[in-house]
Order: sequence, then structure tokens, then C-alpha cells
Amino acid sequence: MVDWLSLAVPLAYLGILIGSLATFSSLYRKRKAQKAFSLEPWFPAHLQRDIYFSLLHIDPSSQNEKKSPAIPESIFKAALLRRAAEDIRRVLTLRSQKQALSTLLQRGSVGDDLWQRFLRAEKEMEEEVKDVVSEANAYVPGWGQTIFQSANEMTNNHIYRQRMNEQQGKLAEERAWWDKKKTSIKESFMKELDEGSETKAAESTPAQSAPAAPASVSDDEAVLVEAENSGNSNVGSPKAQKKKGKGKK
Amino acid sequence: MRHITLTHCIWTPSTKLISLPESSANSAAQKEAVNAELQELNALHRAVVALDPPNIPPPPLPINPKRSAQITKLRDSANTAFRKSQYPDAVRLYTFAIDMAISRPGWEPVALAREELAGLYGNRAQAQMAQQAWPEGLVDAKCSIDSKPTGNVKAWWRVGKCLAEMSRYDEAKNFLTKGLEIEGRESEGGKELIALLADVDAVLQRS
Repeated sequence: MVDWLSLAVPLAYLGILIGSLATFSSLYRKRKAQKAFSLEPWFPAHLQRDIYFSLLHIDPSSQNEKKSPAIPESIFKAALLRRAAEDIRRVLTLRSQKQALSTLLQRGSVGDDLWQRFLRAEKEMEEEVKDVVSEANAYVPGWGQTIFQSANEMTNNHIYRQRMNEQQGKLAEERAWWDKKKTSIKESFMKELDEGSETKAAESTPAQSAPAAPASVSDDEAVLVEAENSGNSNVGSPKAQKKKGKGKK
Repeated sequence: MRHITLTHCIWTPSTKLISLPESSANSAAQKEAVNAELQELNALHRAVVALDPPNIPPPPLPINPKRSAQITKLRDSANTAFRKSQYPDAVRLYTFAIDMAISRPGWEPVALAREELAGLYGNRAQAQMAQQAWPEGLVDAKCSIDSKPTGNVKAWWRVGKCLAEMSRYDEAKNFLTKGLEIEGRESEGGKELIALLADVDAVLQRS
């Protein structure tokens, strides 16, 4: 005969133990799931993918209404290409960040949360890439093998073009700078020239006026005009000499 | 997992464009981002439509020779114009060739575009320099270096020359030393680089 009374104590013990463990584990798991769900995504919204799916979603509705004609397939292909290009960018970002992040994690510089977010992003990108490949194969068999190559070239080309545009965009600035510089160089050059000619003129005036002064004592006015002329420009001096000759006669 | 935000887009068959309806309930910043993306998409779509059936971009290799041939033709005629000292014509033709090379569809290999454009920018720089248009020459030569930093000794020399002509000797010196580091003193145009560097140094010491 089983003694129920003496068994009740261990059974109750077991029951309470298992029950509390079960509650704890379920609570823990729920909390963990919630935490994982509330983790901030690694990347911002995937606009290209969203647009791709948006396009896919217009199609059936418009066919039902029979109002707007169906969208050509080429636009889906283009949208898929855009999506693949963005995926490549993200995959490359993840790859470059992984090394640094794991080092930081080992040193304890970053929290576990960040690492969890990263792992989630990685997994998500894996799924995303697979999805793109299968979509591409659905449009044209075999495209899945080359779509990422094409997308990779597209991203690289895009970066390269952007840089070229940037460089060419500096042209106006450079041109403006040079024009300014050129005029300033010209001005300083002209100034130097002017100074040079002025000193020449200054040297030549006394030499000319010295013999002129005694020669033209008879008409003082003419000498004054000559002196002014030769002071203004060098061209005046031969004329002045001519006048001097006339004055003598 | 992640949720997807669906945007309501409109397909306009007459213009063959995807666009955002006027009355979408997005914030201004979001709308702008979507519009920018749609613009890119439409541009890409035009390129995709222009392809041969089955309307997918071909793998990067082998390269479609048609465009390359056209570019080579333009470059050759530009070179002839340059040799005849018709510099404005040469600049115009090089510009055509550059425009054509830069509008290659994005999925073609970037290495090809770089190689081609390095040569074209370098040549246009030369034509600009022949007309003493130093800033234009400088920008083009810099583009050429950026496209192809190694094995492009002429472009390094041109940058140095343009900078020196505009009396920016410090910058010229920087570029020339960098060019020498990359190209090596023993290379084909290395001597010219060294000679120009010596000139620049002489001017710098005088001042």
C-alpha cells in the first residue's frame, strides 16, 4: 500500500521545482525575444528593397481594376538591380566592420547588444542576398550568377563618377581664383612697368631741361610746356626737341 | 523580422516613369529620399530598356566593343586636331569623348572606364595647357591622376606644370614629390619630373 501522505511532500517539492523552473525559463525567453526584437536595426530602412516590393504590390491591384496598364517587367529588373547594388554596399560595410567590432568586443569596449545587432544584420543580409539571387533567376535563368557582379560594378562606377564630378566641379573655383590672381599679377607688373618708366622719365627730364633752359631763354612759356610734356611721357621728349629747334630759329 | 514600408508609387505609361503620387502621407524628408531613389531607378530603367532582350545587364566581361570603338574614333580625331595645333577643336572633341566614356552604363567594368578616362582627361589637359588655360588643365590632369594614379607620369608632370605656371609652387612641389614616389625616379618620364621639381625648388629657394 502506497503511503500517499509521505509521498506528497517529495511530489510537492518536485512540482514546485519544475513549475518555477518552467515559469522562469518561459519568462526569460520571452524577455530575451522582446529585447532582440527591440534592438535597433544596424542599417536604416532599405529603401531600394521597399520600392521593389512596392512595385510588385501595385501590379495585382492595377490588374484587378483594369484601369492602368501593367507595369513592364523591365522596371522590376531595374528595381532589382538597384536593390542588389544597395545590398552589395551593405555587405561590404558589414565585412569591413566585423574585424574592428570583434576586436572591440574582446577588449570589452563595446557591449554585447551591439554585437547582437551586428549578428542580426549579418544574418539578415545573407537572407537578402539569397532572395535577390532567386528573384533574378526567376526573371531570366542564370541571371542570379551575374547580378551581383553587375551591381558591384555599378556601385564602383557610381563612386568613381561622383568623384570625377566633384573634381570637375572645382573648375569654376579654380578659374575664378586664377582670373583674380592673373589680374593682380598684371596690375603689379604694370605698376612695376610704370614705376620703371617714371624713374626713366625723372632721369630724362633734368637732362633735357638743362640744355633747354639756357637755349630758350627768349620764350619762357615754351619751356614750361616742354617740361610738362616730358614729365608726362617719354614720347613728348623728341617733340620737345623739335620745338626747341623751332624756338631757336 | 524587419518590416517593409510600402510606398505607393504610380506608373505613368506615357512617360514611362515611376513616380510618387502628390498626395502621399510621408514626411518631407522621406518623400525627398524616395523621389531621389525613384529618379535613379527611372534612369536605370531607361538603360535597361535600351538593352537587347532578355533585357538584363550582361556580365561585366566581355565588354561591348561598340562604345569603345566610338570613343577611340573621337579620341583619334581629337589627337589629329591637337597635332595640327587646333587646340580649341581638340578640347571640344576630347570633351565629346569624355562625355561618351562617362555615360557608359554602370554595369560595365569600372577599370575600363578609369583607364579610358585617364587617357582622355590627360589629353584634354594637354590641349588646355597648350592654350595656357592653366586652371582647366590642372583640373583635368588631377582627374587623370585620380582615375589612374600609377603609370600616368605625364599627368603628374602636367599637374606640377600647371601649378607652377600659376605660381603655386608649394602645391606643385607636393604633387611632384608624390608623383616621383609613385612612379619611381627610373621611370620613363621620371627625368622630366625631376627636372620640373628642380625648377620649382629653385623658385622656392629664391623667395
